[in-house]
Amino acid sequence: MGLPLPWILASRYLWGGRRDAYVVFLSVLAIVGIAMGVAALILVLGGLSGLQDFLRSDVLSRTLHVEVELPPDADAAALCRSLGEIGGVVEAQPILRGRGWLLFGGTAVHVQAVGFEGLLPRSFPLARGSATPEGDNGVYVGDALARRWALEVGDLVDVVSPRPTLTPFGPQPRSHRLRLAGIFRTGRTEDDDQRIAVPLQVARRLFGAHESRIEIKTANLEAALEIADEVTLAVPEGSRVRTWRELNRALFFALKLEKVVMFAALLLIVTVAAVALTTVLALLISSKRGDIGMLLAMGATEGQMQLAFLLHGSLLGAIGLLIGGSFGIGGAHLLDRFRLITPPGDIYFLDHIPFLVELGDLAAVLVATVALIGASTLYAARRAAALGPVEALRI
Amino acid sequence: MSITVEVHGVHKSYRDATRRVEVLAGVELTAKAGELVAVVGPSGSGKSTLLHLLGALDQPDSGEITIGGQLLGRLGRRRLATFRNRTIGFVFQFHRLLPDFDALENVMMPGRIAGIEPARVREDAQRLLHEVGLEDRLDHFPNQLSGGERQRVAICRALLMEPPLLLADEPTGNLDPTAAEQVFELLLDLQRRHRTTTVLVTHNPALAARCGRILRLENGALHAQT
Repeated sequence: MGLPLPWILASRYLWGGRRDAYVVFLSVLAIVGIAMGVAALILVLGGLSGLQDFLRSDVLSRTLHVEVELPPDADAAALCRSLGEIGGVVEAQPILRGRGWLLFGGTAVHVQAVGFEGLLPRSFPLARGSATPEGDNGVYVGDALARRWALEVGDLVDVVSPRPTLTPFGPQPRSHRLRLAGIFRTGRTEDDDQRIAVPLQVARRLFGAHESRIEIKTANLEAALEIADEVTLAVPEGSRVRTWRELNRALFFALKLEKVVMFAALLLIVTVAAVALTTVLALLISSKRGDIGMLLAMGATEGQMQLAFLLHGSLLGAIGLLIGGSFGIGGAHLLDRFRLITPPGDIYFLDHIPFLVELGDLAAVLVATVALIGASTLYAARRAAALGPVEALRI
Repeated sequence: MSITVEVHGVHKSYRDATRRVEVLAGVELTAKAGELVAVVGPSGSGKSTLLHLLGALDQPDSGEITIGGQLLGRLGRRRLATFRNRTIGFVFQFHRLLPDFDALENVMMPGRIAGIEPARVREDAQRLLHEVGLEDRLDHFPNQLSGGERQRVAICRALLMEPPLLLADEPTGNLDPTAAEQVFELLLDLQRRHRTTTVLVTHNPALAARCGRILRLENGALHAQT
């Protein structure tokens, strides 16, 4: 048994027999359009995935595993000891937050201060200096601020609190002179410019204990999610327990949204190409109208005619998809392998744009493209089937 | 193999921009098995419409068409398609060959539509093309053939399935006199040998005179012409 009639017609209209130059030109245009759309989708999604993967890893490598926001009267030190006994907890560290000013050489900047005990928290990746301040005399500033003020480790700076001290001469600002113990670099300009870390005792003296928290470090990110419920039971009422997932929810949502919006925007290229495919098929059907009439007169069914043009359109679409897919995947691999896109290092914290082609993205591109091609092809093919034999022969 | 054709009280009209035009107004026709009937008439008299109705390509507004005992109005779309494939061969004024296929493939097409084994269809098609003297034109595309050759290929295609009914609409109308004579002779010869019931529409009185019976279509009805 040979090929069924729809396959014979579809394959012949694609690469055999007499060629209509205009139909061929439009077919190539439709293929190129689909290929470009698919390649652009894969490349851009690959670039976004690469960047987001880097950003996510970077954020998660420095994020708090579990943070407990304590009510004002809670005993943070005692709670840290009891939380430290929960299985999976590596370290529980009291943290205090406050807002104030940092003064150096006659200039001041508004900062968010984080008071800590023991080692410098992991959200302050140390670039220079020591992770442990000497006694209670130490402050850590971000890389951006240090560069702006030309600060060096060992310099003396003042931290000023908005809480005044009442004296016989009236309210006086509280301030503390500290030695610069280290400089951290997070990669986020705002953090590197406006956050400082000070010893817990200093923070308590300057800002009081209103924003007392505990940072819990676990073996890994999964363990943090597993112990969250146990931590909730162990802390006093009025406390708020948040894992890294809740703390970074806004960022992760933004990353996902960015990808979805980009996907939708780039899908417009494929949509335009699919519309072009409908035009190509409509033109082909119009030029083959007499053939359709004769085939129907010879006993072909409307269903066979519809299937023939459906197959023809699908073949054009499949060629476009294949070419676009190869260019997209191959291009992303080359761009990543040879680090061909290099953003300016003084603006971005990356020396090259990483590309990561994810199977999920490929599946989304495939499904969306096939759906668009299928819809546009089906529309045109149905028109071919709707031609009656007499109408088709009347040319 | 041949078949009888019976047409009773067939009406067919079309609506144009302003009015309804009745093309066929109670056509009566009986063609016996193996008969060659010529239908003549002025342009626009409805000859092609009648042929379309006989070929199950269109349906009458009223009346009955029975071919080989099969009432066409009772057949659904799929069965009509099968009926056309197995029972009727068409030859049109313009050859209507498929330009993307060569002569052999064109002749094979009804067999491929029927889903018959390609090797068998190929053999039959080659035999027919050999019969009409086109054995050296098998792989020529329609645009590489002369008008007469194209029409001969079209006749082979119409006869491939050995249909009991052949409908020919001005088969020589587009050919020069020499080619027209050759094609008509071929048609007559094949009709005689295969005993195919044939309805032939023509403008040419000389050709019509060589058919078994002549019917004139006038004012929507068929009249015997002596």
